[in-house]
Amino acid sequence: MNPWIGVGACVVVALVFLLVPLWRQKSALAGRRNAVRWPALGVLGVLPALTVGLYLYLGAPAIIQEQALTQAQSNYDVDGMVKALEDKLKATPNDPEGWYALGRAYIAFERYAEAEDALRKATTQAPKDAKIIAQYAEAMALKQGRLDGRPLELVQEALEISYEETKALELAGLAAFQKEKWAEALHYWRRLQKLLPKDTEHHEAIAQAVATAERKLDLSLGGTGMPLPPPSAEPKKAPH
Amino acid sequence: MIPELGHVALIIALQLALLQGILGLAGASRDNAAWMAMARGAAGGQLLFVALGFLALVWSFLVNDFSVMNVADHSSRFLPVEYRITAAWGSHEGSFLLWTLLMSAWTVAVVMLGRQLPADLHARVIGIMGLLSFCFLAYLLFTSNPFMRLHPPPANGSDLNPLLQDPGMIIHPPLLYMGYVGFSVAFAFAIAALISGKLDEAWARWVRPWTLMAWVFLTLGVMVGSWWAYYELGWGGWWFWDPSENASLMPWLAGTALVHSLAVTEQRGALRVWTVFLALAAFALSLLGTFLVRSGVLSSVHAFALDPLRGLFILIFLGILIGASLILFARRAGAVKTAGDFGTISRETALLTGNVLLLAALATVLLGTLYPLILDAFGLGKISVGPPYFNAVFVPMMVPALLLLGIAPWMRWGRESLTELLPRLRWQAAAAVLIGLALPFAFAEWKWQAALGLALAAWMILATISGLVVRRRAAGGLPLAAYGMGCAHVGLAIGVIGMGLVSAYQSEKTVAMQPGDSASLGQYEFVFRGAEEVPAANYSAMRGTVELKKQGQTVATLLPEKRIYRSSRITMTEAAIRYGFVGDVYVAMGEPLPGGTWSMQLYLKPFVGWLWGGALLMALGGLLAALNLRNKGAME
Repeated sequence: MNPWIGVGACVVVALVFLLVPLWRQKSALAGRRNAVRWPALGVLGVLPALTVGLYLYLGAPAIIQEQALTQAQSNYDVDGMVKALEDKLKATPNDPEGWYALGRAYIAFERYAEAEDALRKATTQAPKDAKIIAQYAEAMALKQGRLDGRPLELVQEALEISYEETKALELAGLAAFQKEKWAEALHYWRRLQKLLPKDTEHHEAIAQAVATAERKLDLSLGGTGMPLPPPSAEPKKAPH
Repeated sequence: MIPELGHVALIIALQLALLQGILGLAGASRDNAAWMAMARGAAGGQLLFVALGFLALVWSFLVNDFSVMNVADHSSRFLPVEYRITAAWGSHEGSFLLWTLLMSAWTVAVVMLGRQLPADLHARVIGIMGLLSFCFLAYLLFTSNPFMRLHPPPANGSDLNPLLQDPGMIIHPPLLYMGYVGFSVAFAFAIAALISGKLDEAWARWVRPWTLMAWVFLTLGVMVGSWWAYYELGWGGWWFWDPSENASLMPWLAGTALVHSLAVTEQRGALRVWTVFLALAAFALSLLGTFLVRSGVLSSVHAFALDPLRGLFILIFLGILIGASLILFARRAGAVKTAGDFGTISRETALLTGNVLLLAALATVLLGTLYPLILDAFGLGKISVGPPYFNAVFVPMMVPALLLLGIAPWMRWGRESLTELLPRLRWQAAAAVLIGLALPFAFAEWKWQAALGLALAAWMILATISGLVVRRRAAGGLPLAAYGMGCAHVGLAIGVIGMGLVSAYQSEKTVAMQPGDSASLGQYEFVFRGAEEVPAANYSAMRGTVELKKQGQTVATLLPEKRIYRSSRITMTEAAIRYGFVGDVYVAMGEPLPGGTWSMQLYLKPFVGWLWGGALLMALGGLLAALNLRNKGAME
């Protein structure tokens, strides 16, 4: 919405507050037309101009455009990229890397069903690519909202092809963590941590996940006094 | 978008306020009905636009719009929703916006309820209030703009001062400001009377209910502020003679004097010039108070100088307002005809004497508050003026005022004979002295503060109630306003009981306690059960558990806290209080010591609640009187 429409509306309302009482006095002032005319004209001329002038001096009208612009720019760029990729894949559909990239873009936009479709095409075209299989597993898991079942089978499949596939290691660790198999989660994540370049956001996030899992493991060990947690061990509530 | 519209709304409100001022005053002096009507319309529009501006600011706080600088500086993502709303008036800018909002609300109330006033007086009052609003809006927009923007916005704000994250702070400033701003009505009426030279009983009848309502709000505001300081600051004090408290006490004293002198002017037509002076003083002191607290001059004189524009604007505004109204007063006070002759011994004299005592007390507070600031500002050294000064100077001045409070309602208007009156009060006086001497023996130790407080309170209660009974018998009934007076005076007496007893008999102890340790104070035994961590959205706390025992029986479990606020890393003490009719038990956590040990502060505060109970009764009394006078005014 154009902010100046709002400014205009405010000015009109202000004028109503001033001119309606004046209008009501008209009959009482029938003989003195100037007594009504001059205040009315003065207010009509000065109030809008002064409002706009003061607002331009004091306010930040540019900030609305700047905010809108920044948002539009970021939307425009990514939208354009996705669109270009879609067009390209329509023309040359036999491109597993292209479908893989499109699938990841869809995931970023939370369009999970389309991501699953795109990645399924990629896996049929490149059935032995661990990276693509793992990504397909993630899209499927995001769409159905859980990791068990088919997505986890795909993760195992990817790990059998390559035990260094980062996405697959991450998902495998997550699945173990969700089942409270802390040691197993640590196994996958520590391995993943070694593979990731240091000083990246991803590395940082995994390091934190490792730390959390270590604390959980430690607690469950302390709680039972056994060297390894039994599968059914009730984990203690972590302190805040 | 929303903050920008709020900004525009304030710009329009600024112009409407100026139009309201000019058209109201010019319309009144030229007898132009059209201009006066426009001034009334402008007042309505001003309320709408200031309210829109205020809502825009509240909205920006609610949605965490950190591109608004005020939000970025005074809120954070961790802040609970209710405090995000109140943070809107937790800052300098926001609190002036609240002041302006309340000011325009009072103006519209005057527009609506003052229709039966003479047209020129009505328009002048509206006009003067418009000019005041204009000054505030100009101050807001040009030096303290709440809608300054940041681009790009920070990811999170720097949080609201933890002291203000409290329910007491939600209601304290609005109540106080309602009182301050309410005095602007009396101020505007006084200026209008000076301009026109017309000041009669009808004028006083109109001003009285407005002033009483403002006084009620101010009383409640001061009361809530004192109670908040008691439970929030962690050491159980209820009045510190801190400059920010004195800032609200001064207009309260002037307002109390004004309410009484207005009664004389309304009933007898006397003390008109004095009444006008007090109306000017009450509002000028309200402004002074707001500026003292809000300009940063109190935290440090130098903070004031950091923003020279802000400081200069304040000084110029205060100078013009006080200077102009005093010049007007000096030139025009003669035009206000004095009438209503009264004798040396009369109710008028008693009320005037009370007034003078209140103003003398006010002067001591003013001196003690401003003098150190002025010395510091001119680099003449730092002096500390604290409770010893105020207790030694203020209290002796209030004692005769309280004695007078018992006698004045018994006195006749015009002329009274002391030889007739005093014997009629001998029983009340004797009983009060007896109570003062005897009752302190019921406590651990006979102390003069308790004796003085109890004797004064007994005198006030007995004389007030017996006075009402006698008047009721003589007149066959009493107006509501008389009951209001009785209620307020008894309320003050109850407050005096609280002050006397708590300052005489409070006790405290600081002990280092390990879990399982116990300490005793008075009849109570405090058993420390340890401290544990309790997380919350915007802070994390260590909560101690203290079992309170009396004669071996557990009577309560107290849970004092020590909090660390996340965004600001400020530590706060949250005291645990067991409120009681005859006194509070107050526990605060001190510092953690090695090995799970905590230093704990234990306090017993006998009768402290009576203070605020008394203040509540005073406010209720003021409300009864205002309602009664309002009806009286409306009937005419």
